[in-house]
Amino acid sequence: MALGMVAMAVLPFVANDYLVGTGLTLLMWLALTQSWCVLSKMTGYVSLGHVVFYGLGAYLMVVSWQQLPFMLVVFGAGVIAAAFAALVGLPVLRVRGPYFVILTFGLAELVKFIIMAAESASGTASRILFGTPDLVVIYFCMFALALLATSLLTWVSRSRFGHGLRSLRENEEAAETLGVPVVRFKLIAFVLSAAIPGMVGAVMALRSTYFVVGGVFDPMISITVIAMAILGGGDSAKGPVLGVVFLFVLQELLWANAPLLYMIILGAILITFVLLLPNGLVGLADTRARWRAQRAAAGAKP
Amino acid sequence: MSALLSVRGLGKRYGGLTALNDVSFDVAPGQILGVMGANGAGKTTLFSLIAGNSRPSAGEILFEDLPVVGLRPDQICRLGVARTFQIVKPFPSLTVLENLRTGAMFGHAQLRRKADADLACLRVLEEVGLLQMANRRASTLTLSGQKRLEIARCVATGARLVLLDEVMAGLTPGEVAQMIATLRHLQASRGLTLLVIEHVMRALMELCGRILVLHHGELIAEGSPTQIGENEKVLSVYFGAHA
Amino acid sequence: MPVLDVLTSGQLLFAALVTGSVYALVALGLNLVYGTMRMLNVAHGDLVMLGAYAAYWAFSIAGISPLVAAPVVACLGALLGYALYKGLFRHLLAVAPADAGRMESNSLLLFFGLSIILQNAAAMLFTPNNRAYQYLDEVWRVGNVAMTGNRIAALLVAGATCIGVALFLGRSTAGLAMRSVIERREAAYIVGVDVDRVQWSSFALGFGSAALAGVLMSMLEQFSPFSGFPFTIAGFIVIILGGLGNVMAGLVAALLLGVIETYGVALTSANLRSVLLYGCFVGALLLFPNGLLARRSTRS
Repeated sequence: MALGMVAMAVLPFVANDYLVGTGLTLLMWLALTQSWCVLSKMTGYVSLGHVVFYGLGAYLMVVSWQQLPFMLVVFGAGVIAAAFAALVGLPVLRVRGPYFVILTFGLAELVKFIIMAAESASGTASRILFGTPDLVVIYFCMFALALLATSLLTWVSRSRFGHGLRSLRENEEAAETLGVPVVRFKLIAFVLSAAIPGMVGAVMALRSTYFVVGGVFDPMISITVIAMAILGGGDSAKGPVLGVVFLFVLQELLWANAPLLYMIILGAILITFVLLLPNGLVGLADTRARWRAQRAAAGAKP
Repeated sequence: MSALLSVRGLGKRYGGLTALNDVSFDVAPGQILGVMGANGAGKTTLFSLIAGNSRPSAGEILFEDLPVVGLRPDQICRLGVARTFQIVKPFPSLTVLENLRTGAMFGHAQLRRKADADLACLRVLEEVGLLQMANRRASTLTLSGQKRLEIARCVATGARLVLLDEVMAGLTPGEVAQMIATLRHLQASRGLTLLVIEHVMRALMELCGRILVLHHGELIAEGSPTQIGENEKVLSVYFGAHA
Repeated sequence: MPVLDVLTSGQLLFAALVTGSVYALVALGLNLVYGTMRMLNVAHGDLVMLGAYAAYWAFSIAGISPLVAAPVVACLGALLGYALYKGLFRHLLAVAPADAGRMESNSLLLFFGLSIILQNAAAMLFTPNNRAYQYLDEVWRVGNVAMTGNRIAALLVAGATCIGVALFLGRSTAGLAMRSVIERREAAYIVGVDVDRVQWSSFALGFGSAALAGVLMSMLEQFSPFSGFPFTIAGFIVIILGGLGNVMAGLVAALLLGVIETYGVALTSANLRSVLLYGCFVGALLLFPNGLLARRSTRS
């Protein structure tokens, strides 16, 4: 993984714009998926509304363009997204299991439609940004965010906080009875997971310069993140890397010519992995390693 | 501080149903207190109230002279109370050691560093006989193993008061004997105070110095095992007539 | 429109009833499928969409009236439900209960995958464009309420089907068996109910009513491969508000939703239709955080 990081870091210096753009998108998905895992893989509260933070960040960038230095806005987007999570977190996290999943979905859609109505009321159908920073600058912003997301997930995964999250994932009532402050921990995880997509959204608004509400609040972004995380598997930072790369390659191959086919394959991947491989590719690798260890142990017996 | 745990006038109502009514008793430090009664007598409700999983409708609970009514379960655990569940609630995909680690890190002991926590947990695992299972997933344990796991998790929290809810249920006579020995050992080596709900009479009589008898949510008798065995009220409730 | 005019408008009331009755039909199907499976079928709305397309093709190509096509499409939907049950869901239901919590969240993702496949396959086969057709749109007047024939037909068919199913569930033995499986499956086994048969008939009935709702919807609005989802949301709102397995309360909740949507849009603007729908959805879930099970709980 360190090798990959170095490769991504030097990319803009050796490759052309198209490749840099592609690398940028890859880093974006990585940042989004890793941050999603901080909440959903660790606590088991599967959020289908991750895009809401992304959209809020993008919207903030677009409405404040050229009124504030963009780096400040990126940072502010993270703060706003985290604040939103803090605001809705307590009531939202009281909802469990599949209801939480559809609630987060519904919440993201609700925010989308509210902003759509607001834009339409002010007569704005879409917005365009002029004078956005250079591609390389945007690339390094995203690189930093991907690095931040991966570090965050790694830290959470190894910390006492992370162990508390895992415990409440396995059995929330037992965890609380063993001293884990479940309500507080869930909320912290939720807020932590919100900041990075907010910043990612703000940066991507600079990249695409053409803003339409439906596009930045597209539920397919949430679903793609989930698919990447499930494909990768596990609850550490390794899994998302695998999932992101795999699906990203698929996306690049199909998106231009057969976007609908890509969606169908995405749906099929979701179904297959949920049914047959709930621990994703990481789980598959783990199982194979355990098999081999067992066979080696068995073979060593006389 | 005289009593470790003090319960006064405790009551719990669910709508029209009275689960507990005016229950009062003290538990001295180091005691093993048994709680017996028919199903629905209110035993598990009592545990839930003490551990903070639900709130009483009336009465007060004092742990180490501190009122604990209204505190959250995690706060009460940090004060030094731990409980098992009648239907075991392990962390299925975590290993046995990781299960205990939660208790050690977040419970009364507050061993925040993984190394310290794991060391303490390994010691507990040895005492309950689960050491060789330390790195196995909790879901792979047998029922007897999972019951030991529940108990071990509680002990790992460093609690002073442990509430054991029917830990012998479903065990073979051999396993029951083993469990009694383990509990005695844990209590002695760590100075624990135990509250034990049991249906298995043998376990109650052998383990407990004192027994409470609940019936329809009310405390109808309290005393040593022998006294309980001769108590008229208890006998009429259990057998319907004089012995 | 001045507020008082809006509130007393017979026109709007009629529109609300029509919308509500279609929602009731969709919710009915979802109730049955969710009630037996305990899995949130987010692909339910896509069946409505498929039903709409079936009616569209029947009318555009063969000139068959949607009212004639309706029972056929409903049966096809029922058949699909039966096939999906036997092929897929029966195995899902056999998952060990210890894993059930995690399974429930993951099963949702499974249905999302299914929904994505259905929507995009439809888009591939039928193109993503909006479709509509004219049928029965002569206007009838009662007082100052203008009603088109197709809306009246939709109201009658949806209403009759809902009442019919409600009677079936409430009065017949088979209906009783279905309700008992929805309430508590394990207990139903014990008293001798043929749970497997109840389950596939629930599926068939559920999917069939969704397809029927689609046929009705196709007469009233334009639709595309992606129109199904709002119906899923509406169905869930109705179930959450009305309670699981409670068909009569569901009917009331559906009509209420129709009223909120119709009057809400009239009082504010068409842009807010989705805001209202999703606002109700989020609100309902936040008010009842334990979903539906706690509301019908008889546990001590």
